[in-house]
Formats: sequence, C-alpha cells, structure tokens
Amino acid sequence: MIQMYHVYKTYGKDLEALVAVNLHIQRGECVFLAGPSGAGKSTILRLIFRDELPTSGQILVNGRNVVRMKPRAVPHLRRTLGVVFQDFKLLRDRTVEGNLALVARIVGMPTLEGRQRVAQVLKLVGLSHKAKIVPYKLSGGEQQRVAIARALMNDPVVLLADEPTGNLDAELAVDVIRLLLDINARGTTVVVATHDLKLAEEAGRRTVFLKKGRIVEEWP
Amino acid sequence: MLRKLRQISADAVTNLIRSGWGGLASIATIGVSFLIIGIFLILALQFNALVAEWREQFQLSVFLEDKITPTQLEILEKRIQNEAAIKSVTFITKEQALAGFRRELKGQESLLEGLGDNPLPASLQLKIREGHQSPAALERLSAFLSRHEGVEDIQYGQEWIERMSNAARITKLLGIMIGSVLTLGSALIISNTIRLAVYARAAEIEIMRLIGATKAYIRAPFLVEGMIQGSLGALLALSLLFGTYRLVAPTLMLASPLLSTRTGQGILEPSMVAALVGGGAMIGALGSSLALRRFLKI
Repeated sequence: MIQMYHVYKTYGKDLEALVAVNLHIQRGECVFLAGPSGAGKSTILRLIFRDELPTSGQILVNGRNVVRMKPRAVPHLRRTLGVVFQDFKLLRDRTVEGNLALVARIVGMPTLEGRQRVAQVLKLVGLSHKAKIVPYKLSGGEQQRVAIARALMNDPVVLLADEPTGNLDAELAVDVIRLLLDINARGTTVVVATHDLKLAEEAGRRTVFLKKGRIVEEWP
Repeated sequence: MLRKLRQISADAVTNLIRSGWGGLASIATIGVSFLIIGIFLILALQFNALVAEWREQFQLSVFLEDKITPTQLEILEKRIQNEAAIKSVTFITKEQALAGFRRELKGQESLLEGLGDNPLPASLQLKIREGHQSPAALERLSAFLSRHEGVEDIQYGQEWIERMSNAARITKLLGIMIGSVLTLGSALIISNTIRLAVYARAAEIEIMRLIGATKAYIRAPFLVEGMIQGSLGALLALSLLFGTYRLVAPTLMLASPLLSTRTGQGILEPSMVAALVGGGAMIGALGSSLALRRFLKI
C-alpha cells in the first residue's frame, strides 16, 4: 500500500529530517512509527499525504507515485486517505456534525449519503450523542475521537494518525489505540506515529523505530 | 453542478456578512468610484447628444442685400442647390425675419415701434450635411457664396460646435483616466477585504486543503464574494445616479434648454447599466484573485 524507497528529507541546508528511509507497508497492515519527537515520524506521514515532497527518493501510495504527481492530482490522492492530526484541526465555529459534513461536501457526497455517513462514523467512535455539540466543549479524548471520525468520513484506504494519544491520559490513550486497531480490523491500513514506546509495544503490532531521521529498528 | 453553485454562493454571502464593516467599506468605495465614473459617462453622453443635435440643426445664414434682383436670387439659389454640402435651403423674406424677431422679443415688442422701415435683411437658411461641417469646408463654402451678386453677409456659429465637441472629447478622456485609477483602487480595496476573509478562514482553508479540496473549490467562494462586492458597489452607484437625476433633472431641464432632450429620460442605456454592473463584478473578481494569489498558498 505504501512504499518508500531511499527517501531523504532535508530542511534548509543541513537539518536532516529523514535519511535513507526504506519503508514498505502492506495493504491491511497496522504499523506504529515510534521514536522521540524530532525523529521524523510526522515527516513520514506528511510525505505520504503529500503535504511535503522528499528531497530525494520515491514514494508510492496505493500504487501511485506521489513524488512525480502533478499538483492537480494531489487533492484526489488526499481524498483516498484519512489523516488524524496531532492538534485535531477541528473547526470551532461549527458542531461535530458540521465538522464531519465538511468532508462529505469536499469529496462530493450527495447530501443524504453524507448525513448517513456522519451518523455511521459517529456511532463507530461512540459519539452519536455529541453530534450537535461544538468541539471545544468536548473533552480531549472526545475531540480526538471526532478527529478520527472525520478521517474516516471518506472511507479511506489508509488512515494516518499523528500522535493520536499525545494529549490524552493513559487510560484514554488505550481507548483510542483500541479504536484504531478496531478500524484496522475492518480492513483499513493504519499508520500511527507515536512517541509512546510502551503504547506501541502494548498494541503488539509491527513497530518501526526512528531516531534522528533514520529507521534504527523494527519490531517484530 | 447546481448544488455546487448554490453552495459556493451561500459560502460567499456568509463570508460577506462575516466581513461586516470591511465588506461594507469596500462596497462603498466601489460605489464612490463608480459614481464618479458614471458622472463622467453621463456628461460625455450629454455632450455627445448635444453636439449631434446641434450638428443636425446647424444652419448657415446667407443675408441678402435689399436691392437683390429676382434673377440674381434665382442664380444664387440654383448654385446653392447644386452644392453637395447642402441638405436644404429655406428662403426667409424681410417680413418673415421681422415676424421671427418679434416672436423672440416677446413682451418687449414696443422696442420695434420706432423702427419705421423694416431693417432686417432677407436671407437664405442653409442646412449643412454633417460631413461638411468642418471649419475649413465652411470657410470655403462661405467664400464661394459671398462672391455672388446680392449677397451681403454670411454667418455661422461653427466655433461653438467645435468647442462643444472638444469639451466632449476632453470629458471622455478625463473620465477614462480618472476611471482607470479609481478602478485599480477599487480592485486593491476588494483585494484587501478578501485577504482579511482568507485570514479569518485560515483554519478552515487549511483543513479543506488537507482533506482533499481542490484549489478551485477553495477559491470559488472568495472569488464570488469579490464579484458580489463589486456588483453591489456598482448597483449602489447606479441607484445614487438615477436617484439624483430624478431629483435634479426637472429643474435642470427648465433652467437650461440647452440640455439635450434626446437622452432625457433614460440617462444611461440599459446596455451601459449592464456594462457597469458587469464591470463591477469583474473588478471584484480581479481584486479577489489578487488576494488569493498572494495569500492563499495551496
């Protein structure tokens, strides 16, 4: 599903965010990218949904080379992916429902289908009763789940989650990881970036360890 | 498609309302610019109509000596009728001239009482084709006519027409110059308002971008917002113009019979109204795209 070949990413002159990264993720896999902050986890995610381009190397996502992709095609790539941002990026001026409906509109779902899909994903993350509430009135864990729900709106082939437990206490973090594993069990490829090694270990899935932009270890 | 258009317009209107005073200010600025452009347009049109009317009614008077013989008159008339420049000839006798003068002096006819003999000359009034109204052509014509026996004097008010058409030309030129400066200014002001709208929605734009919205999808509402601002500004200016004209025109018409009656009721033709509103929308679109290019990186 995702193939990275010899990927380098350098910011400015000599800030090496990624060095010679080779990473292959199969369809339906769940992979944890673990490492301290600044190790390059987020950079890998951003390269996958082409928020950035690598300095060198090639990246294939769902069979398409995102490095050589024309800018025009980028929105269409992103519509096949779901991204959960570290800072959630939920809009304050509309309800949970409104936040999710935005995706439906952008991918061009008919209104009725969009509404059904909103109800569906909210049920999946267990927030059906909070549909009419504005996000900032929700707890951190709930906001995180709204963010995940939004990423699932377009039924993505790959779900990318950047520090999905970063702002949560341990108990909620486990809940969120469980939710992500659940989503993976339904067939979606899931990539999770986390600095919490213990959490990654507990999940018991393939984990890639990064340090200073290099893959230093893989488990199992 | 229709749903999309509706969505885009709804977004644009929402943005416009959210922009509040900023949006109103840019509409008002465009209104003022278009008001000035409109005033120049109306002035130029009035001048043109006036000049056209004058040109059509333009007459050259050939005053005849009292002692002119019927034969001389006949020869003169024949010569005149053979001139290509002349549209029509009317013979005014001394008596008709006096009667006309009397009409003009209405209320003060007593002035004429001490005159005794009719001092006014008979004349031929020549209407000149529009192509032959240049000062040089008239000069030639009047020189030719004055050589004839029995012709006393030749008069025409050509200078006035030339001055009027010059004034019309200058008005048009000034209008174009001031208009283009104001247009540019309006575009920049709209651009500024849109820039603020882009900033206000930065979070939403960022999310839309990351979710996979196309450039056009993100830009369209802003573009439409600018176009709405532009056309509303133009409409504002037009309603001010028409309103003022309604109020002022009756007194103006009375005060100055010079004012052309031809463009009287409409002042601006429907096509010009449409062009102004369309122009407003285009300036709005221009302003928006300026802002989007500079402030909306996708």
